[in-house]
Amino acid sequence: MAGSFAEFRRRTFSSIMFGLCAAGSALIISILLLVIGYLAWIGVSSLSWEFLAAVPTGDVANPGGMRHAIDGTIILVGLASAVGVPLGVLAGIYLSEYPSEYAATGPLRFIADVLTGVPSIVVGILGYELVVVPVSRWTDSAVSFSGYAGAAALAFIMIPIVARTTEEMLRLVPQSYREGSLALGATRAQTIFRVVLPGAFGGVATGIMLAMGRIAGETAPLLFTALGSRLLTHNPAEPFPSLTLQIYTYATGPYPEQKRLAWAGILVLLAMLFVVNLSIRLIAARHARTRVGT
Amino acid sequence: MPVSPLMTQPPTSAKPQPEPPQVELPARKRPIASVGPANASGGQYPVIDAIKRGETPEPRRHESVMGVPSILEVRDFQLWYGQNKALHGVTMPIAEGKITSIIGPSGCGKSTLLRSVNRLNDLVDGVRTAGSISLKGEDVYARGVDVISLRKRLGMVFQKPNPFPMSIFENVVYALRISGERRKSVLEAACEKALRQAALWDEVKDRLKSSAMGMSGGQQQRLCIARAIVCEPQVLLLDEPCSALDPIATLRIEELILEIGQRYTVLIVTHNMQQAARVSDFTAFMYLGRLVEYGRTADIFQLPRLRETEDYVTGRFG
Repeated sequence: MAGSFAEFRRRTFSSIMFGLCAAGSALIISILLLVIGYLAWIGVSSLSWEFLAAVPTGDVANPGGMRHAIDGTIILVGLASAVGVPLGVLAGIYLSEYPSEYAATGPLRFIADVLTGVPSIVVGILGYELVVVPVSRWTDSAVSFSGYAGAAALAFIMIPIVARTTEEMLRLVPQSYREGSLALGATRAQTIFRVVLPGAFGGVATGIMLAMGRIAGETAPLLFTALGSRLLTHNPAEPFPSLTLQIYTYATGPYPEQKRLAWAGILVLLAMLFVVNLSIRLIAARHARTRVGT
Repeated sequence: MPVSPLMTQPPTSAKPQPEPPQVELPARKRPIASVGPANASGGQYPVIDAIKRGETPEPRRHESVMGVPSILEVRDFQLWYGQNKALHGVTMPIAEGKITSIIGPSGCGKSTLLRSVNRLNDLVDGVRTAGSISLKGEDVYARGVDVISLRKRLGMVFQKPNPFPMSIFENVVYALRISGERRKSVLEAACEKALRQAALWDEVKDRLKSSAMGMSGGQQQRLCIARAIVCEPQVLLLDEPCSALDPIATLRIEELILEIGQRYTVLIVTHNMQQAARVSDFTAFMYLGRLVEYGRTADIFQLPRLRETEDYVTGRFG
């Protein structure tokens, strides 16, 4: 009888724990669904062809669209990636492939980790002080807010993320690949670029996409660098629009029509992030398939 | 006295623990309690007992192996992993155009010796060496040796098949690619030749562009052999090439080694004494970083000069 009582206790405890875990998950998921549902409900009504194709009119009752901001975000992320991806990947290679012979990989890794955690507003201020202000001085202009400054701030956020994920992914590549390549008379660089990096391609690509998704959603680093703009511009030397900045401006403003546009903008931003994340999943799945048998 | 021990022994290829690639040996100056007293064998194995005491007895090198023309000369070669001495003054010539096998229990330094030939041990932190290894008269440890071009003259196949994550074709021609060869006709001809020599051509000729990862373990290992011989190396180094394969795949690799041995000098490290007996012309027996006995394979297995060797190859010791 004692045995069956112990079993009863065990089963009851197990059921309670299962119930708690399930309830917790359900709560989180329902909050998430609530947020997305609310967004969709408010945003979809403002979503229109005009929203995607038109630029701001300046008329608060009929504010136009967000074409400028969508283009702006894509260009900013593209510029930031053009700088951040190569630098980040190279730093990741350094951290993973050149361990003990060259100094300072330990401190470098620590710095990268700290940088990953730096609040984005700090990056914004840094961008202002280190890019915007000096450029203003050199060019003798009053303000030098620009897309380039914004992209620099985003790249600054991106580099440590890409570097650390690249490092982790390269470490997963079996040592036997490196030995096999070196034994055939390959140099270290040939080994890295022909065998190790391709072997980690899926993982590195995933890390890059994650970093791109992260910076696409940043507002604070752009506040003092790109500044934002109501004009459709593809010239990063000018003050530059982005979805997040435009959403911020509209959402904190007093005009109801602009607030509605902000909701739609949030929806578009989420959709873009969703597409990016989906492509990560696809890459990761393909990666997992090609790695079978290693 | 020798009653053809080969036939009576069960195959030992399925030994549960393959030797780890870098074996660290304690540098023992004095006998250690866990090893047993200095004459643990009761005087049965004086050479082994001497080695366990930290001595380096003169190995029994048969005249038959010292007389043949050699391509590789290991002279008083010593190697340390940090404080641990893994090789104690190994001296042995490797006969040109022959198959030489190195046998010995786990931790005897046979893989370390093999990886010293193409200086792959350079990758391990804290490795120091003394003595010399000469390939065709050139000391591979001399100052200013170009390790990259040295490794291009040597092929190596590892314990576990390690095809690169690329197509079969690209795997085979990798060594040519890194040397800058781009002509498609040259690459294709070399690929076919190497795959034919590795007895793999007929199996893969229709799927050269597909990933090497989809091949079976035995095929992968033959691919690695093809990759290692595509540049016609002066010596082919095989580091327990069958230890990760099933018996049938092992048999095919052994046949392949015999065939390749007609064209190349092969130095093979193996756990499997039957394998050494089947494929090699010469056999070296190592123990705790020392060469113990070295001679023609037939002599090592049937007329060994040391009781230690005889009992090791018959499985009574080690």
